[in-house]
This record gives sequence, C-alpha cells and structure tokens, in this order.
Amino acid sequence: MNQKNREIDWSRLNEIIAEHCQERWSLIPLVQEIQNEYGYIPPDAIPIIADKLKLFPSAVQGVISFYAQLYTEPRGRNTVRVCRGTACHVRGGKTILKLVKKELGIDEGETTDDLEYTLETVACIGVCALAPSLVINQQVYGRMNPKKVGQLFKRKDENHEPA
Amino acid sequence: MQTVTLTINQQEVSGHPEMTILELARESGIIIPTLCHHASLNPIGACRICLVENEVNGALLASCVTPIASGMIINTESSRVLEHRKMILKLMLASHPDSCLVCDKGNRCQLRQMAAELGIGSSELDRIPQTAVTEEVNPFLIRDMSKCILCARCIRACQELVIEGALDYYGRGFKAKPATLFKSPLENSECTFCGTCVALCPTGALMEKEEFYRGTIGTVVESTCPYCGCGCSISLEVKENRVARVKPAAEDTGPGTLCVKGSYGCDFIHSPDRLTRPLVKENGSFKEVSWDEALAVTADAFSRIKDKHGSDSLAVFGSANCTNEENYLLQRFARGVLGTNNIDNGSSLYYAAARQAFYDSVGFPGITYTLNDLTGTDLILVVGAEPAASAPLINYEIKRAVKLHGAKLILIDPRKTKLTLFADCWLRPEVDTDLMLLNSLAKVIIDENLVDREFIARKTENYQELLDSLATFSLETAAEVTGVSLEQIRLAAGLYATAGKAAIIFGTGIMQQLQGTENVKALLNLALLTGNIWRKGGGLRALLRECNAQGACDMGMLPDFLPGYYPVEDLPARKKFETHWQANLPSKPGLNALEMMQMAGEGKIKGLLITGENPVAGFPGSALVEEALASLDFLVVQDLFLTETARLAQVVLPAASFAEKEGTFTNLEGRVQKIRKAIEPLAESRPDWKIILQLAAAMNQPLPFNSLEQVQKELEELVPLYKYDWEEKSPKEEDYWETMAEHRLPLKRFPRFSPVEYLPPLKAPDTQYPFILLAESALFHSGSGSRSSKSGRLSRFSASYFLQMNKIDADMMKLQPGDRVKIVSPVGELPAVVEHSESLPRGLVSLPRSRSDYPVALLFSSPPETSASSSALQRCYVRIERSCSDEPEK
Repeated sequence: MNQKNREIDWSRLNEIIAEHCQERWSLIPLVQEIQNEYGYIPPDAIPIIADKLKLFPSAVQGVISFYAQLYTEPRGRNTVRVCRGTACHVRGGKTILKLVKKELGIDEGETTDDLEYTLETVACIGVCALAPSLVINQQVYGRMNPKKVGQLFKRKDENHEPA
Repeated sequence: MQTVTLTINQQEVSGHPEMTILELARESGIIIPTLCHHASLNPIGACRICLVENEVNGALLASCVTPIASGMIINTESSRVLEHRKMILKLMLASHPDSCLVCDKGNRCQLRQMAAELGIGSSELDRIPQTAVTEEVNPFLIRDMSKCILCARCIRACQELVIEGALDYYGRGFKAKPATLFKSPLENSECTFCGTCVALCPTGALMEKEEFYRGTIGTVVESTCPYCGCGCSISLEVKENRVARVKPAAEDTGPGTLCVKGSYGCDFIHSPDRLTRPLVKENGSFKEVSWDEALAVTADAFSRIKDKHGSDSLAVFGSANCTNEENYLLQRFARGVLGTNNIDNGSSLYYAAARQAFYDSVGFPGITYTLNDLTGTDLILVVGAEPAASAPLINYEIKRAVKLHGAKLILIDPRKTKLTLFADCWLRPEVDTDLMLLNSLAKVIIDENLVDREFIARKTENYQELLDSLATFSLETAAEVTGVSLEQIRLAAGLYATAGKAAIIFGTGIMQQLQGTENVKALLNLALLTGNIWRKGGGLRALLRECNAQGACDMGMLPDFLPGYYPVEDLPARKKFETHWQANLPSKPGLNALEMMQMAGEGKIKGLLITGENPVAGFPGSALVEEALASLDFLVVQDLFLTETARLAQVVLPAASFAEKEGTFTNLEGRVQKIRKAIEPLAESRPDWKIILQLAAAMNQPLPFNSLEQVQKELEELVPLYKYDWEEKSPKEEDYWETMAEHRLPLKRFPRFSPVEYLPPLKAPDTQYPFILLAESALFHSGSGSRSSKSGRLSRFSASYFLQMNKIDADMMKLQPGDRVKIVSPVGELPAVVEHSESLPRGLVSLPRSRSDYPVALLFSSPPETSASSSALQRCYVRIERSCSDEPEK
C-alpha cells in the first residue's frame, strides 16, 4: 500500500512548536524534533512553523533545504546506504547498487511506497576490507554478492537495528 | 566619539568603529567594485567581488562586511586582489549563459559591466551551465534563474524593504536558487509584484516583461507616481517620446520601493484608448472637432446657462488626480469666472469626514506628521485600513517599523488584514462599532491615569468636556456592543498610552461610516490624551486614495473653503482673494459632489465641468448619477479616456497624462512633490491647466497667466501653506516639520478635545438583506479604475471579480468557490463569483472597488442627507442569490 500520501496527525505539531517557540534560535531544534516525530518535515508544517515563529515561510523552507539531514519527504523506516568508495567500486560496488535498486524497485534518493526503505549512497564507510559493502541503518553488511543482496531484502519484516 | 585610523591604498583614513572597509573607502573617494552590495540592503558578502587585501597579514577580506580595525593596511587593488577578483568573476561567468548578445538586460547588466571593467574577455574555465529556466505566466516580470548569480538582492529586497518574504534561498551550494515557498510560481506566492527585486537585480535573471524598448535608456525623468496618496518618487525612462520603463527613483531619497501600480501600471499613458482630439456630441454621437470649436461650444454653453439661470446653476467637479496648479486654476475659474462655490473634488467621498474632524480639533485639515517618522516610532495603531492594498508604501513602512525596528502594532479591524500577522494586539469590533471601541480606549487611558498631564494642561483645550462625556461611560457595555473583551481593550489602551511615540494610521474603513467624523475625532482624542499629536514618530495620518487628494483640498477645490482653508464666509479672507483676482466671489458655501449630482437630477444644476473624475463609476447609486448627468443641459468632461461619465458629455476634451505635463502633487503627508514632463502630450491632448486657461479666455475672461511658474507664484502668495521652496525636489526632513507647523495652523489655537458619542444604528438591519457588503481597495486598481483598467498588465492580471465571503456563511448557503451568484442591494444588483475568505468574519462579504467595468458603487444608495462627511459608501446591506440562469460551475 502506498503510505506516502497518508493523513498526517497534526496534533503533536502544535505541541512541539509550543515547546520551542519561546526559545532563542528555536528553528533548527524545532524542525529536528518535528522530523523525529514524523520521520520528516511535512511541507504543510512550514507555514504553521513560520507563523508561530514570526518568520517568513520561504525563510523556514530555506533553512530546511540547506541542511542535508532535514527531509521534506517521508523517509523509509530503514535507510540503506550502498558504499560507492574506491575499494568497493573495484570489487563491484556499482553492481551491488544496481541490484539493490532492482530489489527495492527505487532509485537513489528514493523511498519505497510502503515506507520500508530509503536508498542512498555513501562515499566510503571505512571498512574497505569488507568491500563491497552496504549499511542498513547502523548495521554494516560486508563482502556483498548478488545472492546476499537478494537474501538481505527478503527479510523485510526483521529488524535491522544493530544487535 | 571614538575613531579608528587605518591605511587604505597608502592613504591614512579614519572612521567610526561600526563602519565597514567599503563604507570608509567610498567615503574617502576610493572605488571598490561590488555586485551584491546595495546601499538600501544589509550587506551579506555573497559575491566576494569587493575583496581587498590587508597587507598586515595578507588576509583577503570582503570589504562590504568587514568592519574597520585600527592599524589595518588595506590595499584595494594589489595584484593578489585583482587576480582573485578576476577569478571570482570568471567562476560566475563559467556558470552564466553565453546569451549576452540576445539578453534583454544588455548593457544594463552589471555582471557584464564588471567583466568589461576587469578586462575579462572569456571565462577560460570549463563551463557548468545552470539549468532551470523558470517561465512565469504573470504579465509583470520574468525570472530566468540560469542567469542568477546568487547575490540575494531580490531576497533582501523582499525581506528587508517590502517585508513580503516571498523569496529566500532554496537548497545549498551550486544548486541554491532564490525560490518561493514550495517553489511555486510567483503568482501563487506572497509576491505582490512590487517590482523592487526587478529594479535591484544586477543581471538578466529578473526582468520586466512587455517593454516596448529593451535597450539602455539615456533619458530619465524624475517624477511622482500618479496613483495613490503615498506619492512615491519614480524615474520615467523615456525613449522616442514614449515612457518605456518606470523605476523607483534615486537611491538616496529612501529605499526605493514602489508597488505594482507604480512599477507596471503606468502603461496607461500609451493606451490605444487615449482620447486624441476634442469631441463634440451632435445628434447623440461624438464628432471630432478642433480645439477652438470645442472650447467655443463650451464657453458659449457656460455663458448661456450663467446668464439664463444664474451662476449657481453651474458646478465644477475637480480631480484629486490633477496637479495643485490645475486645481488652483480650476477653482479660480469656478469662483472668479463662473461665479459659483459649487466646487468639489473626488476625495470628498471619503476624506471629508476626516477633514472636518481635523479642522474642528486641531485647526488644520490634514495629517500631523511626516512619512519617514514611522521608522523611529514605538507603536503604530492601524484602524480600519488595509494599507497593503490602498497605500502599499505605508504598508512597507509599518512592517519595517515592526519587523526591523521593534515597534508594536495594534490593529482595529473586523477583517483579518495582511498586517494581522505582524500585530501584537488585534481588536476585532463588530462592524460600525469602532467609535464605541475608541471611546473605551480613551476611558481606560483616563481611568488608569495614563494621560500626559503636562501636555493636556499646557497645549490643549476642552479636556474637562471630554472627562464629563466619559464620566458615565461603561466599559462593560462597550465590550458587549463591540464584541471585544475588556482584557483586550485594557491591553490595547495600555500599550498605546505607555508606548512613548505612538502613531495612528486610519483608512476609509473608519472614515466612510455614518459617524466617520466622530471616529476621527475619537482618534484625535487618543493622540491628545497621550501627547502624541505633534510628536515626531507620533501623530495621525489618513490613507488617501489619490495622488493629490490632499493638494486638491489645500487648493480650495472645496465648496466651503478658499485655497489654504480660508472659509468662503470669512469676509477679510474673501476680500483678499477678490482684490487679487479682481472678481466678486460668491460668499455662501456651495454644493458638495454628492449634492451636485442630486441637484443635477432635480434640474437645479444645468451645467457641469468635470476634470479627471468618473462619478458614474465611482459614486453611490451610480444609476441615479448617470441619469442626473444625462439630464444636464451641458456637461463637459476633461479626461484621458472616454469614461462612462465622458460618454454622457456634450463636449469631451482630451487631457494630457501626468507624464506629459509639469506641476506638483501633495501626498498624504502634505509633502509637495514635482511631476515633470517626460514626453510631449499624446496627439492633440493638452494639460488640464492649459485647457482651463483657454476655456477662461474663450469666455472672454482670461486668467492672467502664461506659464505654470506664474500660477505657482500667485499660489505661494495667497496660500501660506505652500510658501516654501518649490524648486527643490522636497524640503529637507528637519525643516519640513517646522514648515508644516508654521504654515498649516491657520486657527492659531491649541488642539481641542472633542467629546463624541456612539449612536447605535437607527434602523434594525433589514432581514431581507442579511449581509454587509464592503467595497474594498484592490492593490491592482485605483480610484474608479479609469486609468488602472487601461493599463494592459494590471487589467489582465486581475480580470475576475470575486465575492469574498466567510466559509461558514458560504457553507450554510451551499456555495462553493467558483459558484456564480447575484448580489442584490435595495438599489441594484451585480453578478459575482464566490470565493471563500479567511479574513472576513461571518455576516460580512466584500467586493473589490476600483474597476470601471464592474461598478460596485451601483449597489450603494446615495445617502438621503447628502452630507459627504457622513457618506457610508464603503458598506451596504445586501443579499446573495444563486444565479439561476446557469448551473454552478464545477
């Protein structure tokens, strides 16, 4: 089911804004908390935040769009980062990325419709000895091959949190 | 004061510690090139073109944002500086399109000028062209983001000057671009198309649309905007006897902002609909004739009517859009040649109420402080006004005062206006109960002893009467009648009285009520109680709709006042004018504009001269006005266009526009400003002042003037108000206030408190007409719309007429946005399209005023008492019916 367009429960938003709006330089902590709550910053929240903080909506959007770790689109529950560093590249990282894309049915920077996975690439994660590698949330998966990629994403419902 | 001494280019210079290197260098005559820097904007150091070297440590510094420090040895043109400056520019050029040859910005592009100055022929770098060309469908401006150099001038203009905040950066690094919220097109954003960003953009990224000429223009004529009462200075760029562009005037007079009308609405000058030759009606249709013939016909008719029916069967309706000189001549023509005081101007319909109140209270009918004062004020109280639409420049000033200078803002308005977001306190009284609310504020201020005792004792009269009138005033009743809570009333009164410098700004919402005069008196009471009346940063000002509403009244274009507000009954004053004009002047006040129309309908006015006004479109009960004007023996209209009124005339004289003549306008703060001739009058049109002189001559009673200077000389002599240096563009700020105080107080007495009492409406509202309709100012139009609807760009942009109504009201009537309805008032009906509005409370609906092709005025009845000071033209009772002729649109 496509969950991207589901209704947002706005009740928490005003609470979060109320907690922060009296602080000095409250915008960034505020949007971070909103992101923690909703997984992203719903664009419709921007005019509400701006109104309460007495800022221009365009300026709030400007700050959010500046930081790479702030998102205005829903994110998957799990973030998959495929390493595109030199060592992984030499050992077929490009193919691994292609396979992950195929497996998840999404492109780089995208999120699956069921909001399970978001796919990103990363320049190097520093475990070149395990190349080619990828990371799901905090868990590193090394010495990847097509078979392992296939198995990895069959375990959809399992938790990828580090043991 | 502390000074900092340093060396710039081997020259020892010193400045105060807050100065930047750039400021000090410029002050010392050293030129540092800049791109993103602009005098009206906060420096941000975005472009780095202005970098200089500190030879002490070899640091390269952006001079526009680096404060000076003692001991610095700055070199602005060392080889390192030049090398880096060139590289920075080359990097900009590497991502800039190569389309200079065909770019409309052409030689006006500052990036290109900079490249030429630094001697850069080609970028020599690999090109990384930017994509994202944004097409815009609005008729005013075009954005091409591939030419953006990220200087943020547009962003800063929008956030710091006009405080709309439609734009900010989106994204980071190379991908960053100025963008609106959700990157939507401008027409769906907060943008008001004021044109400030276009005027400031250094490259071709932001450009005006639909200019007939796009090159560099050498001839620039400084003038004054012909639309609202703000009186913005504008620069007309002229090419081959055409006004090609309008820009905010020179930077040093202020931040240089205009609104959409000033920036893009002056194209009415070259509208193909302009009248080109005099017209005389023969057998019901117009025939083009020569000037001599038209003037002769007019002169004959006026002489005949005067001989047969007496002077008072003639009337003159002058224009708040004509210059001071023209109004002066016109009233002299009316009084001296025609011999009547039946004189009025278009601003009376709303301004008469305030004029009366000011005259009674402070002895001078005009506002009491200057425009730039708002920046330094502590609190602004805005009552019954939407300056975002009716006086955009004041809107910018208010928002700047609040957002940048920390002033408090109190709003009194039943509607949610665009200022509500900025308000500290918003009182939302029931419609037409403002007077009750204002009195309750006075009551709280007195009861809580927040008054300025010394000022009241030394500088005012009638305080005891005010105390007596408020002695039994019940705040509880006030809260009940107005629907504003006691806490809110107390909060607002406390804020206003304890602020220090507190300014009051009011609009037609409060003037055009039955108790309009009393409303303004109540406001004056507040200013007097707190000593704010003459205080710099305090005072009161009315928002005037026309560019010369104040001037037309100053010039005596009124039924009861000679120029300079000498009452016509005042014998010594009248004698002075009689001697000077060598004519006998009528001694009884004449008819005001509404009375003229009524008397014309009754056949008591036989001949009427109208200059630059369109009462058929702008007056209440327009059907009756049309009938009355059609029944006149003789009607002559001077106008730019064949308006609804002009069509009824026997003679129509083509007038020249503001760009085709000299003269002065007086803006809403009383500042007298020049308009200058930029182009020759179109075809055979003539300036109104020449027409009046020629008409007087045709009646064999020539007025003794050959030039405008002679008119101005006489005017200065007879009107002490205008006796200061006209030649300068405007008096200096410091002298200005004294000039005003000295010349503008003919009564020479202290201001007086005026007890005023709220009267509940006499009639219960008719249940047949459950809604109150407000006719509201529209940003994209002005006056009765004669000129703004001839501006191609303005009229195309806002072509539909929406009836704004509260969503709950609409839901109860099952009306969806886009549904067609009929608005029915006791005297007329109009079709409209429904739009939901968040700003209106239940029971209120609103329509835009100011469109000549959509005469809202026909819904309003002419008030039976015909007193212009109590005309309730802004509101009337209506009902809304679904149009049965067609199905509601999906």
